[in-house]
Amino acid sequence: MRFRFCGDLDCPDWVLAEISTLAKLSSVKMKLLCAQVLKDLLGEGIDYDKIAKLTADAKFESGDIKASVAVLSFIFSSAAKHDVDSESLSSELQQLGLPKEHTTGLCRSYEDKHSALQDKLRETSLRLGRLEAVSWRVDYTLSSSELREVNEPTIQLKLQVQGAESGSTETAVFSVSADKFRVLLAELKQAQALMNALQ
Amino acid sequence: MPRPVPSSGAQHGGGRPGHCFLSQLHIALLTYLHIALLTYLLDKLPPQGLRLCHRVVDGLCGRETPHRGDYSATWSLEEWLDLLSSLTEFFRMAVGNNCSDEEAVLNVLRARQDEIRRALLDRTTSISSSTLQDFDWQLKLAVSSDKISSLHTPLLSLSLDVRENGALQPVTVEINREELNTLISSLEAANKVVLQLK
Repeated sequence: MRFRFCGDLDCPDWVLAEISTLAKLSSVKMKLLCAQVLKDLLGEGIDYDKIAKLTADAKFESGDIKASVAVLSFIFSSAAKHDVDSESLSSELQQLGLPKEHTTGLCRSYEDKHSALQDKLRETSLRLGRLEAVSWRVDYTLSSSELREVNEPTIQLKLQVQGAESGSTETAVFSVSADKFRVLLAELKQAQALMNALQ
Repeated sequence: MPRPVPSSGAQHGGGRPGHCFLSQLHIALLTYLHIALLTYLLDKLPPQGLRLCHRVVDGLCGRETPHRGDYSATWSLEEWLDLLSSLTEFFRMAVGNNCSDEEAVLNVLRARQDEIRRALLDRTTSISSSTLQDFDWQLKLAVSSDKISSLHTPLLSLSLDVRENGALQPVTVEINREELNTLISSLEAANKVVLQLK
């Protein structure tokens, strides 16, 4: 069997196995667990104490807790990755043996956070550098050892660039002549127009 | 030190042996200096500049040399010595080598003054410790990633060649739409000021 939420592939065995673990929780508790996992996926942090309390009724051991968090993370992120709508996800999860009430709760949580999840995935996709900050200063050069009367503006630019590895920020500081600056700006605008035309 | 003008300009009136070409080149160099100084002189002090040239020739002809004291308000000692020696040598070489091509050299200089000025502007900009030498960009559409199958995000790769103390330092950054908007609006603000200054 192939599942859309698995990217049109077989469902991994461990997911299949842990779906039955989820079924041991009450549907209400599972929905609350879903909320915690979604928070984690959206980068808002997860409250493990709360999760321990939610799963206490079902007498979950720490292995079961980890497995249920992992399987919910997989379902949400994989479904969002492959842009599966909540109805299709619901029918596929029921085919895999998740009870109907559990499925409804899970899919409602998923539907609410679907676009936020996708934004997050888009944002965390591989990027080779980001532009963090731009600072500039315009100088008017009056005279220099090369030329007695210059009277031309010069632009000092500082770009803060985050490298491909997270956390490595490099700063580039350089000066640009007015002519070159005009060309740079014009070309960037050209690129911007092309970029906007893509939408 | 100024560079000699392109050799095509200095090679005029060939046919003479090599040493004359060299001296022409020398004259070109001196002429260049001379023009720069003369332009400055004529711009700032038209009568004095011309008078000084005559005083220099006077000195060359064994008459009275110009007095530093008369011009001490205008030039520092170093400038004065430079000016005096280059002017003297210019007049000496121009006549002494019997090269009548200095007019051609002067013509080239006059014609290409703007170009030379632009080159000097460039050199002025490169006085800063790091300058933007060149840049290239590439617009890409990121289609898919391991995180999301349909990424569909346009990204601009901007690579800047920054010359830092003589060595080229590449800076590459991937910019998305929002970052590009920020960058452009920031540069626009700078450009506004630049346009006001021009």
